[in-house]
Amino acid sequence: MIEIILFLVFMSCGFIFGQLAEKRHFKSIVEREQQLNSLPVVASRYPPEDTAYHQQLVSGSVVVASDYFKSFTAGLINIFGGVVTPFESLLDRGRREAILRMKAEAGKLNAELVFNVKLETTRIATGRAGAIEVLAYGTAMLPVDAGRANAINSSSANDLSAIDSAPVASGSVPRR
Amino acid sequence: MLISNLEILPDHRIVRHLGLVQGSSVRSKHVGRDIMASIKNIFGGELQGYTELLHESREEATERLIQQAQGIGANAVLNVRYSTSSIAAGAAEIFVYGTAVELAQRD
Amino acid sequence: MRYENRQAPEGINVTKVNPLVQFLKFFIASIIVVVLIVVILQVAGGAIAKRIPFKYELQLMDTVDPQLGTTGASREMIAYLNDLAFRVGRELPVDEGISVKVHYSTEEVFNAFATIGGNLLFYRGLLNEMPHENALAMVMAHEIAHVNHRDPVASLGGGVASLIAMSMFTGMSGLAGDFFNKTYSFTGMQFTRRMEETADEAALGAVNALYGHVNGAGVLFEVMGEIKGDSEAIPDWLERFAVTHPLSNDRVSAVRILAAKNGWSSEGETTPLPADFLLWLNRD
Repeated sequence: MIEIILFLVFMSCGFIFGQLAEKRHFKSIVEREQQLNSLPVVASRYPPEDTAYHQQLVSGSVVVASDYFKSFTAGLINIFGGVVTPFESLLDRGRREAILRMKAEAGKLNAELVFNVKLETTRIATGRAGAIEVLAYGTAMLPVDAGRANAINSSSANDLSAIDSAPVASGSVPRR
Repeated sequence: MLISNLEILPDHRIVRHLGLVQGSSVRSKHVGRDIMASIKNIFGGELQGYTELLHESREEATERLIQQAQGIGANAVLNVRYSTSSIAAGAAEIFVYGTAVELAQRD
Repeated sequence: MRYENRQAPEGINVTKVNPLVQFLKFFIASIIVVVLIVVILQVAGGAIAKRIPFKYELQLMDTVDPQLGTTGASREMIAYLNDLAFRVGRELPVDEGISVKVHYSTEEVFNAFATIGGNLLFYRGLLNEMPHENALAMVMAHEIAHVNHRDPVASLGGGVASLIAMSMFTGMSGLAGDFFNKTYSFTGMQFTRRMEETADEAALGAVNALYGHVNGAGVLFEVMGEIKGDSEAIPDWLERFAVTHPLSNDRVSAVRILAAKNGWSSEGETTPLPADFLLWLNRD
């Protein structure tokens, strides 16, 4: 009897708070994506060669936990096979959050571009519920001469007014 | 839609870089397949059920990548990378990402 | 070359589903699947196990030799119990080749059970509560009926078969594993309860044949109800579903109904226990 009540409590807690948190998280992700939209993130390895840049490794990571409701439903789906939808949104959130944190770090350095972005996902077992870690990393391209960079990048790549920008950190020493 | 893990295509010119696009898919096989796989694990060899699973996932993830690229008006995705991770026992996630670009034929 | 960031449309990487509807769909479907699998395996495993000749059960017990009962317990008590088993057994339709051996444990447990190889174990805790021989004969007949129905080996076979299948399920489903285990054990309980009810019916017939009436046979269940106490917190219908044995109250009324149906008299003198019974009982 107690087990049934506990189960119901866990499930409804997981459902209510999990869904609420997810909705809030997605809303904040979309907002920040718009704020940081002016900083392009590219998966290519070859940066433009006609501009002088400092390079610096930037990264962002996040660990997102699954809620009880999601994990339970995923366990049920596993019996039948198919698309495990409860984890899809979890992974999407993790990935976008990690990229955003990387972008925020690059934005603080006044970077113009982030090149060669790579993403890693790992499953972290915390109890039986599970959580995922997503790491995004890439090379931030910092303009050596802001004026020249502006002339070449005619697009809005330099418009970082939306985020709180810090003075360019020294040189190409990786921060981590 | 051109999908490639090259970054420079000899006969094309990149007009614009449109940023990162991604596709992902989490799938699992029914428990019967899991049981067969664990039996097969005794003898070794290809786990066809899981090969199939990951193949389906990869196709779906790629399909989603293409949808994102189309959504932002790209005509190619370059430097595409796949990554696989195990999210829960018997469920795998396929993630694919790359740079969405606007390509033009080189004259 | 120009660089810009375009926002991909929302929701491509997330399948749109109603989580509650999805949960309910899979929840109900998985209950059906688990119940079906357990029922099939219990029935099939039980049926196969029952085909194993009884002598293999005996051989198995010989090799395992699990030391049932307390060593050095009152010989008179063991002799009396085996004598009662013999007298009760004559009144039961026991199949060819099946034999019963009674063991006695001095532990204060209110229980008696039958296990493979026709071995019965009676605890002092149970014997202590027996007001007359009729009540004890009912327990004895019930356990012998289990042996005769091959219930111990059937539940072992069915249990092992469904346990193996369920371990696959629980291993694969992470957090939902506990839930599958519960569904599995509840389904298994439905089987053991059926076994108990058939054993009760056979036992009551034997008691009637032995004493000419069934008076006192239901005492066991009355005592059981008093000792375990019916819990107030759980409604009867729910408790009925979640126990291995039928509820004591239900068994008391089942005795009455069975007696009426078969025309067994429920009036008659109860046979007292042997004069030295308490003496044997209190000797270590």
